[in-house]
Amino acid sequence: MAIQVSGITKQFGSYKALDAVDLEVRSGELLALLGPSGSGKTTLLRIMAGLESPDAGSLQLNGEEALGLKPRDRQVGFVFQHYALFRHMTVFDNVAFGLKVRPRGQRFGSAEIKRRVTELLELVQLGHFADRYPAQLSGGQRQRVALARALAIEPKVLLLDEPFGALDAKVRKELRRWLRKLHDDIHITSVFVTHDQEEALELADRVVVMSQGRIEQIGSPADVYDHPSSAFVYEFLGQVNRFDCTVEDGVARIGNGALSIPTDPAVRGAAIAYVRPHDLGVSPAAGGPGRISGVHVVGPDARVEIELAGLSLEAEMDRERFGALGIALGDRCAVHIDRARVFAR
Amino acid sequence: MPANRSGVALSDPAWMRWLLIGTALAFLALFLLLPLVAVFAEALRRGFGAYWAALVEEDAVAAIKLTLIVAAIAVPANLVFGVAASWCVAKFDFRGKNLLITLIDLPFSVSPVISGLIYVLLFGLNGLMGPFLKAQGIQIIFAVPGLVLATIFVTFPFVARELIPLMQEQGSEEEEAALVLGASGWQTFWRVTLPNIKWGLLYGVLLCNARAMGEFGAVSVVSGHVRGYTNTMPLHVEILYNEYNFVAAFAVASVLAMLALVTLVAKTVLEWRFGAELAATRHK
Repeated sequence: MAIQVSGITKQFGSYKALDAVDLEVRSGELLALLGPSGSGKTTLLRIMAGLESPDAGSLQLNGEEALGLKPRDRQVGFVFQHYALFRHMTVFDNVAFGLKVRPRGQRFGSAEIKRRVTELLELVQLGHFADRYPAQLSGGQRQRVALARALAIEPKVLLLDEPFGALDAKVRKELRRWLRKLHDDIHITSVFVTHDQEEALELADRVVVMSQGRIEQIGSPADVYDHPSSAFVYEFLGQVNRFDCTVEDGVARIGNGALSIPTDPAVRGAAIAYVRPHDLGVSPAAGGPGRISGVHVVGPDARVEIELAGLSLEAEMDRERFGALGIALGDRCAVHIDRARVFAR
Repeated sequence: MPANRSGVALSDPAWMRWLLIGTALAFLALFLLLPLVAVFAEALRRGFGAYWAALVEEDAVAAIKLTLIVAAIAVPANLVFGVAASWCVAKFDFRGKNLLITLIDLPFSVSPVISGLIYVLLFGLNGLMGPFLKAQGIQIIFAVPGLVLATIFVTFPFVARELIPLMQEQGSEEEEAALVLGASGWQTFWRVTLPNIKWGLLYGVLLCNARAMGEFGAVSVVSGHVRGYTNTMPLHVEILYNEYNFVAAFAVASVLAMLALVTLVAKTVLEWRFGAELAATRHK
C-alpha cells in the first residue's frame, strides 16, 4: 500500500515539529526516516499511524484520505522503540491480542487464532516462548514479539519507531539483517524511524533525511551518501572533515592556502568544505606540511589524525594500506584530497 | 568469593543490625501491638457474654450497619472517580492539570472537622442550599447522605494518589499499541489498562475502605449523633466511652479493629495467591 503525505504540519506549543512535509512512500518498499532527535521523524510516523493528528495537511493511504480514520481503522502495524508489550499477558496472548479484539463478526475461532499466532511465533523464531511473560525475555526477543504482534493483524503498512534503539550493538545488527530478510520475504510497505545513519543506509531501499521538521533529502542509500544535497546531510551521514574556506575562481583554499580543492565555479567567497576521512590521502614526506598527531588502529581499519596549518584532519584507510605507508606518530607527511564537496555559506 | 567479600564489606556489624531490628520491633510492639491487645483485653474484661451482648445491642448493630452502608457507597464512588482522575492526569496533557492534582490532595491537607463543617454550611438548615433542600423535603445534614458525602470527601485522594504515579510510570505506549491493533477504547481499558493497575487499585481501595470505616472528624460534624440512626461505629464508640460503658465501647472498637485486620489479611492472601504473576509483570 502506498502512502502519500502532503503538507503535513504539526506544532507542539511554540515548537514546530513538522513544517509542511511532503513524502511519498511507495508500495512494498522499506523506507527509513533518518534524522537527529527533534527532527520530527517520530512525529511523522505517529501521524501515519493515527497516534497523533497534524495541524494541517493530508495523508492518503492507497489513495484514500486517512486523517479522519482512527488508528484501528487504518490497518497499520506499529512497533514501538520500547516494545510496549502487554506486560500482564504471555507472549502468545500478546500476539493474539489484535485478533481477539476484532468485532464479533470478523473474529476467527480460537483454533484459527492459535494456528495464526503459532505460525507468527515460528516466523520470528520464538515458537518455544509462547507461555513466557515479556519480563522473562531479552530485548531482542521482546522486539521480535512486538513485530509478530504487529504483523498478526495483517497490516497493509508496517511502521517501526526506532525498532533497534534499545538493543545492544550485536543484537541490533542481527535483528537488522533479519528484518531486511523478512521484508524481502513478505514485501510489506514499511517505514522505520532511526537516528543511526548506518542502520538507515544498510537497511532501507530509500532514505529520507530530516532536520528540524523538514525533509532535507530523499534518495537511495548510495545516493544520499555520495551526493548529499546539503551541508546538513553531509555532516549527518558518516564521519566528515569540515573546513572553513574561501573560494576564488573555482578553487577552494583551506587554511590560508595550505590545501586547495578544485570546485564548482558557481560558488564564491566564504564556504564550507567537506571531506570524508576515506577521501583524504596521506603520504610520508620528510619536509611535508603535515604532522601525524594520532594513530588508531581498530580491527581492519586505521584512523590517522593529522595536524596541518593549525587544522586538525582525520584520514581513514584499511590496515594494510596504512602498514604499507610506513608512517608513525610524529612523522611529517603530505596530504591530498581525492574528493570533496564545497557548500557556499 | 568476591561476592562474599563485598557482602561483608557492605553489611554493618552484627550488634548494629540487631540494635536496628530490635528498635523497630520494640516500636511496633509499643505503638501497634500493645494498643491492639488492649482493645481486645478491655472488650473481653467482663467475659465473652458481656462482649457479645454489647455487640448485638440494637444501637451497636445499627452503627455497624450504617458504617458498612457508608463504606459501600463511598468506596465504589471513589474507585470510579480515582480511576477516572488518574487516567486523565497520567495519560493526557491539559491546562490546569496541576490544579487538579492539588485539588485531589486537598482532603489530605484540610482538617476533617473543617470538611464536615463545609458540608453543614452548604447543606445545613441555615446553609447556602438549606432552604431549597428543605422545600424539596431532602435532608442531607444529620442524615445518611451527609455521612456519605463527608466520607467520600475525606477518602477521595486514596485511590487517585495510589494510581497516578503508577500510571505515569507505565506511560501510555501499551494503550497506544492496543489502539493500533484494533482495540476500542473500552477494550483497551478492560484488557490493558485495568490489568496493569489492578494491584495499585487494590491497595488504593483497601486504604480508602479502611479510612471510610474509621473516619471520625468529618462524620462527627455532619452526623448529629442520633443513636441508631446517624451514628457510625467510631461515633458510637465515643458515645459509649463518654458514658463510661467501657466494655461496650471496646467491644465495638474491636469490631472496627477486626475489619481492619480482615482487610490486611485479604491483601496478604491476594498477594500470596498471585505472587508469581505479580513478580513476572511488575518490572518491564
